[in-house]
Amino acid sequence: MTDLNALTDEEFRAEVRRFVESEYPAELRNPQHRLHWEQGREWFARLKAKGWVAPGWPREYGGMGLSASKQIILIEEYERYGVARLPDHGVIMLGPLLIRFGTEAQRQRFLPRILAGEDIWCQGYSEPGAGSDLASLRTEAVLDGDHYVVNGQKIWTTLATDANWIFCLVRTDKGAKKQEGISFLLIDMKSPGVTVRPIINLALHDEFCEVFFDNVRVPRENLVGEPNKGWSMAKALLGFERIFLGSPRQSGYALARLKLLAERMGVFDEPEFQDRYTRLRLDLEDHKALYETFVAVLRRGESLGPDVSMLKLHQAELFQRITELMLEIAGENAGMLEPLGGNRDLHPSGQFIEARPTTIYGGSSEIQRGILAKNVLELPG
Amino acid sequence: MSAALEQAAEERAESIRMIRDSAAGIAPRAGDRKRIRALRFQEPGFDPAVLRQMGEQGWIGLRVPEEKGGAGLGMSEFCAVAEELGAALAPEPLVPAALSASLLAAAGAEEPLAGLLSGEKLMLTAWQEVPATLEAPGDPDAPRLFIPAAGGADAFLVPVRQDGKLALRMQHREGADLALDKTQDGGFYGTLRPAGGKVVAADIGDALGTALDEATLGTAAYLLGVMDQAFAMTLDYLRTRQQFGKPIGSFQALQHRAADLKIQIALTRASVDSAAALLDRAEALRSARRAAVSRAKARASDAAMLVTKQAIQLHGGIGYTDEADIGLYLRKVMVLANQFGPAALHRRRFAAEAREDEL
Repeated sequence: MTDLNALTDEEFRAEVRRFVESEYPAELRNPQHRLHWEQGREWFARLKAKGWVAPGWPREYGGMGLSASKQIILIEEYERYGVARLPDHGVIMLGPLLIRFGTEAQRQRFLPRILAGEDIWCQGYSEPGAGSDLASLRTEAVLDGDHYVVNGQKIWTTLATDANWIFCLVRTDKGAKKQEGISFLLIDMKSPGVTVRPIINLALHDEFCEVFFDNVRVPRENLVGEPNKGWSMAKALLGFERIFLGSPRQSGYALARLKLLAERMGVFDEPEFQDRYTRLRLDLEDHKALYETFVAVLRRGESLGPDVSMLKLHQAELFQRITELMLEIAGENAGMLEPLGGNRDLHPSGQFIEARPTTIYGGSSEIQRGILAKNVLELPG
Repeated sequence: MSAALEQAAEERAESIRMIRDSAAGIAPRAGDRKRIRALRFQEPGFDPAVLRQMGEQGWIGLRVPEEKGGAGLGMSEFCAVAEELGAALAPEPLVPAALSASLLAAAGAEEPLAGLLSGEKLMLTAWQEVPATLEAPGDPDAPRLFIPAAGGADAFLVPVRQDGKLALRMQHREGADLALDKTQDGGFYGTLRPAGGKVVAADIGDALGTALDEATLGTAAYLLGVMDQAFAMTLDYLRTRQQFGKPIGSFQALQHRAADLKIQIALTRASVDSAAALLDRAEALRSARRAAVSRAKARASDAAMLVTKQAIQLHGGIGYTDEADIGLYLRKVMVLANQFGPAALHRRRFAAEAREDEL
């Protein structure tokens, strides 16, 4: 295998571009919804054949061992081509966590199965009573001999129906302060007492689920790291990935669709539309420039600070404003359930609904503003 | 105000309260939205039995003069009914049916009018030839677009230009070339290719313009009901949802946002009420009527969109699920905000019609 890190950035970019253009299934470009595992199986097989399942993992664990700057190029090229995310919590979240905090036995047991596509992982963090206030989570794991007994409920578990394993934040010490009694536990979803219920979202798609735990027995060796240290471990993982929630991709793609729609509705050349459209274009251009400054931090090998909240906040609200203008100019088409004339690039109502949760998931805009006020601006309170 | 006028105003207010109460009886604000869920995306998208009840209550012919079989009531009463139906998300096409009733009454077509007013027969006016318009050119061959609740129609009223006048043809549903497309609120828009049909009026004159204005204002009132109820549900959520050890409604950022939404709802109510009152004054100029209707619809469309979007945001993750009723309010606004003209059209029309000294 060639040492990809030895390639120049241009050579590596060309290599990624060749790969996606020849191997990525055309019908899966820019899907409106998260792909189910079955839909992405063929793409996964091609990634696996090329050894490209886990870009960020070290090569000794079967990853690509890419530097931060090469990973960014990879993601830029995937985004440019409209490559969809697979159910990738194993690759993105669990793998790095086990590599950093797990035992060697845990790594040997779980990492190869992620790379092989044998284990599909989902993430059990949020609960009905613990959303923005995640640390108040109540799903409980009580030690009973060699097992933890788990009771409780998780919600917004993305694609849990596709997964056979779930990594969870669970409460192991009810006496401790909120953040200090939480552990990180790996649970086989085939265990007796685990129930998954899909939730239909506003887009009428079954992207996320509730997961219920009723006296689920989990072997003690499935705890990662030290007991009651789960919170700080999970938080340590939120470094790198936060930048992607602020990627200009969604807004850029939506803006192109806004233009198509405006042309179709015959308003593109109207001065009022042009002013509003150009305003959004400038917001997007400036967002890209801001995004690049954060990318530059990662390229230098430094880690991101709390100011990265600006990116996610601005991206999500820009995406929403673009889709809101789509509705405004679409006339009665704004209310249609299906795309105009069967063309999925002309689907103002679908795009509008797709943009709604971006200010809610991954830390709501209210939470992000709070982070900026407290941790960046250091305002009192 | 003289004592007699004061008494008349009080009686009027009482009659509006009563009609509002009877609307709330058929379409209650409170409770879950099981009825709406059961009907959505299933043709025709509403319950014909409930539409008949509305006919029996006299709402379809609420604006039709008494001598023509209607109730002869004003726009203030009509808006009160529409607002209650909006709060309940009632999918029955009261506003489109009332539009047709006004046309048939103006045309003097007594027999079809009687069936429509009773709620037994549904005639829908197929006037629209392009999106985002309030103009009906009457091209005999142009497909008629965005006919609300079209799946439930027994007949269509098609305005057609003949000999320089706008005639009204009635085309029966049977044998009609009609396509139905689902809308986000669970209803259906119809596309009709006009063909044949009997001429029921040779010249509907200004009646269509007046009827469209009233339907526009009725839609603004319906949107007012939608946003008002969505806001009430959101306030409940802010009071009860706990995060960080307290109700989320205690966070100042959310309190301020709720206050801003309240202002928009109050502005909408004031705008709708004053437009209805203006339309009920016989001496009001046509341009002033049109300006008032457009002012109300521009406000209602934008405010309803703002309030229901924020209602989802303030509900957080649960707001993005289909099983939470709050999403049904946003979906309704997605359909109605642009029906009978989007806000931008109404702002343009207001600018063209309003006289500076009226501002």
